[in-house]
Amino acid sequence: MLALSTTQKSGLALLVLLIAYALCAPLLQAGDATTQNLSQILTSPNADYWLGTDHFGRNMWLRLAEAMQLSLMMAALCVMTSAIIGVTVGVLAATRAPWFDRVMDGIVTMILALPGLVLVLIFAAIVPGSFWVLYVAISLIQWIEYFRISRAITQRLTQSPAVQSSKLMGFGEWYIFRRHYFPAIMPQLFTIAAFGAANAILMMASLGFVYVGIQPPLAELGLMIVEHFPYYSDAPWLLAQPLAALALVVLACQLMGRGKAL
Amino acid sequence: MRQLLLKRLLQLIAVSWGVGTLTFILMRSLPGDMAYRIAASRYGMDAVDSRAADIVREELGLDQGALSAYWQWFTDLLSWNLGNSLVSGAPVSESLWHMLGHSLLLAGAGMAIALIIAIPLGLASAYWGGWLDRALLTASTVMRAVPVFVIGLLAVIVFALEWNLFPVAGFGTPAHLVLPALTLALSLAAMSNRVIHTEAKRVFGSSFYEFARMKGLSTWQAFKHHGIRNIAVPVVAFLGIQLITVVEGVVMIESLFSWPGIGHGLAHAIFARDIPLIQGAALMMGVMFVVLNTLVDIACHYLDPRGGRIA
Amino acid sequence: MSLIHIENLSVHAGSVELLAPISLTVQKGERLTILGQTGSGKSLLAQAIMGNLPASLRAEGDVRLFEQRVNAEERQAFWGKQISMLPQEPWNSLDPLMGAKQQLAQTYHLVAGEGAAQAQQSADYTLALQGLQESGHKRVDQLSGGMAQRVAIACAMAGGAPVLLADEPTKGLDVSRRDQVVEQLMTQSEQGALITITHDVAVARQIGGRMMVIKSGELLEEGNAEDILNAPQHAFTKALIDADPVNWADETRDTRYGEPLISVQDLSIGHGKQALTRHLNFTLHQGEVVGVVGDSGCGKSTLGDTLLGVHKALGGKIERHSNAPLHQWQKLYQDPTAAVSSAVSLRTLLNDMVSLHNIDRSRIAPLMQQLGLSDDLLNRNSEGVSGGELQRFCMLRALLLEPVLLFADEPTSRLDPITQREVSQLLVDVAKQNGCAVMLVSHDPAMIHKRCDRVISLSQ
Repeated sequence: MLALSTTQKSGLALLVLLIAYALCAPLLQAGDATTQNLSQILTSPNADYWLGTDHFGRNMWLRLAEAMQLSLMMAALCVMTSAIIGVTVGVLAATRAPWFDRVMDGIVTMILALPGLVLVLIFAAIVPGSFWVLYVAISLIQWIEYFRISRAITQRLTQSPAVQSSKLMGFGEWYIFRRHYFPAIMPQLFTIAAFGAANAILMMASLGFVYVGIQPPLAELGLMIVEHFPYYSDAPWLLAQPLAALALVVLACQLMGRGKAL
Repeated sequence: MRQLLLKRLLQLIAVSWGVGTLTFILMRSLPGDMAYRIAASRYGMDAVDSRAADIVREELGLDQGALSAYWQWFTDLLSWNLGNSLVSGAPVSESLWHMLGHSLLLAGAGMAIALIIAIPLGLASAYWGGWLDRALLTASTVMRAVPVFVIGLLAVIVFALEWNLFPVAGFGTPAHLVLPALTLALSLAAMSNRVIHTEAKRVFGSSFYEFARMKGLSTWQAFKHHGIRNIAVPVVAFLGIQLITVVEGVVMIESLFSWPGIGHGLAHAIFARDIPLIQGAALMMGVMFVVLNTLVDIACHYLDPRGGRIA
Repeated sequence: MSLIHIENLSVHAGSVELLAPISLTVQKGERLTILGQTGSGKSLLAQAIMGNLPASLRAEGDVRLFEQRVNAEERQAFWGKQISMLPQEPWNSLDPLMGAKQQLAQTYHLVAGEGAAQAQQSADYTLALQGLQESGHKRVDQLSGGMAQRVAIACAMAGGAPVLLADEPTKGLDVSRRDQVVEQLMTQSEQGALITITHDVAVARQIGGRMMVIKSGELLEEGNAEDILNAPQHAFTKALIDADPVNWADETRDTRYGEPLISVQDLSIGHGKQALTRHLNFTLHQGEVVGVVGDSGCGKSTLGDTLLGVHKALGGKIERHSNAPLHQWQKLYQDPTAAVSSAVSLRTLLNDMVSLHNIDRSRIAPLMQQLGLSDDLLNRNSEGVSGGELQRFCMLRALLLEPVLLFADEPTSRLDPITQREVSQLLVDVAKQNGCAVMLVSHDPAMIHKRCDRVISLSQ
């Protein structure tokens, strides 16, 4: 099916590792991510707190895991939603009546008129701090990429000998989708999904960073970076943690999406 | 080309409509008496009373049904009547022009530095390959995995806090521009040096480039007459795609460095729920985005006689 | 004076020898043709002589140009001025963003050292000489393949190089355009030397001079072109020559046809509003093999799509006399790899079709045997089999549907000459046995002449 390159495999391995951390970390240490302990603030990593504590004395091992869960969940939801919608609409636009294609093209042109981050920012302003509104806003932007690629590939294929041949042999549309369109879209889909996941995570962190995304006390990578920045000289490891986590998860996705070296 | 410009015009309309509608929803969904807050912003907290609020209510159609209020909102928008900031009370359109200047300065400086970094590195790594190529690939990959605000943060820590070379944030002197512009440039160059590399490699390895050498042109002549333009066409088209990175980078970098541009204004307005300013800033960003895209279209059209990019 | 003299030149990739040591000498006024199939290492020889092998490959041996011993780097100084090379595929060898005349004038200016105005004049003169004066402003995407190749030849010669290496100069060209290109090469080389690399026996015959036959990187025989072509010594050379359609055996065919199958009256075909061909009138009978010829762009493929009902006719009438269901009107494609999904194994594709139309499975094995397809071939996907095998698989699928009409759109043009001969023979034989009418499209009149009962000629 999909032959992964070494680069992609290392990305996948890294991602699996990060997912494992996000899911299993809470099982390994007792407590929760929001309990403050003001007598234990800014402690360095030690036997009790494997990654130390933050400026409220919260357990960073657990907080980081919670933030990762949130980021990964956002990425997974956005990728699935936008991939399903994008591919379906893309294939339909290429194979159905021309008016449908024109309408979809118009909608896409309209959405693309505004830079994605600005659109997400406005959505975030309407319902502040909502995970679900961010999810809708990010998916609203990301489905377009899937749509455009699926439509372009399908459009090219509808004219191809392979599809014409299948039609002449009497095969139906579902068969043609299964045997011709989808296998051609699939490898591209994988790349877009990987980069889309990275972008969704970055987008959410960016919003957290300018303080209009997920609201405290919830743990979110971007938000944590701003919160920890004032303590960078006292507790550099504290700032380093969300930075490293964010960079690693984005790197994992980007490596996975890279079929060949660019 | 005409069709492309028409498409861009459609986008301008879409931006105005989209931003207008979203901010309208935002206004209607806000808790509290909107009219009172707007009146306060216009006449000052002390001068405002329920009578002034009523006048605002009537003027903006806040007491009407949603539909006619929506209509009123648009007529204001189309006549460039963007209202006053709820926070400062200053007319939004005035502060927008001020912010636009700063944003364009930052974007321009960032893109210029990015090209100065990316073009030589991209071409050199394509021509020589080897360790230079691998080193650049690794550096670019790492750089792209790090969000732009993290690059900025690290730049602040290293250049401003540790070495005291440049101011942490703010504006006014050329020194203030260095870190924000450098941050933007690095994040742009991380991607574009690879695109230039790929395209240059494609051209250097192409049959027509080889033929140019075979028919007697020197390395430099072949590059000058057949290399530059053929590399430039896809690279400029890519610039169009990268514009989104520019605009998003500007938003984040301005917020980080308190650079008084539109992105900073937008983020602050959202945080302060300053609706007229949100609308104005988002509108300006959208317009700027469409205009820059149009410029790229025109550049592509000029460079590529085959019909330019299909956006 | 020997213009090129090479001794024991070989090409290696790592430790693998791609081209066995070869020696040759070309004197002034001489023509040398190197004949071999695709992938036989002939292009490597040209690159090794020029000194522009890819960095991953290594050449060994001695090269002397104009009686000077020169290494690969030193040879760059000869490019364009003493020795020039014409790469394969003309549409890739010209700058896609620059007009034809501009590229030619640039060569006169920068390589031959003419003044700017003089270079423009020279370019105009040369283009006029080639009958291309109207096309000087066109870019390569606006030129036909033949025109592009003639511009490329002019560019290659503009620097004044007496020696020209032409690598497959006629690949992908129609026969009429091929002859023009060969003629131009011959004229250009009268004062110097011409080395032509080709797989096309007809081109080798036209050029004449001396000839070398290469197979898998090894020299099989060399000598006078006429002698070799008339009396080949080596079995491979013989097979190559026999594979040229001109040399195919004439057969007596059964010319008793069945009932009329489909007829067209005053048919116009084309895309949108632009008609490619008008006023077509013919009737096709069951079991008849009809050739379709015409230059590229005259609507041969469109005719097929129109007859099969995939494409709308622009005007006229098509009448089907048979009420066979739609799936019995089939088509074979020029590029079988583009016509078969590579996502699943060939067996899956075959099973898909067998179950869709409830085909009797016992018919598969004999037909496969007849087509020379082995059963384990079906376990691979379309990328794992050769072009000839895949085209025969396409024939298998089409024939299992018991077609009444098979429109074969240049089904053998992407295959090497020997396979081309087999596949086209098989197609005609099997169709005849099954009472299926065949329309065989080709740009090669010789092949049509040998395979078809009659010919429909399309002209613009």
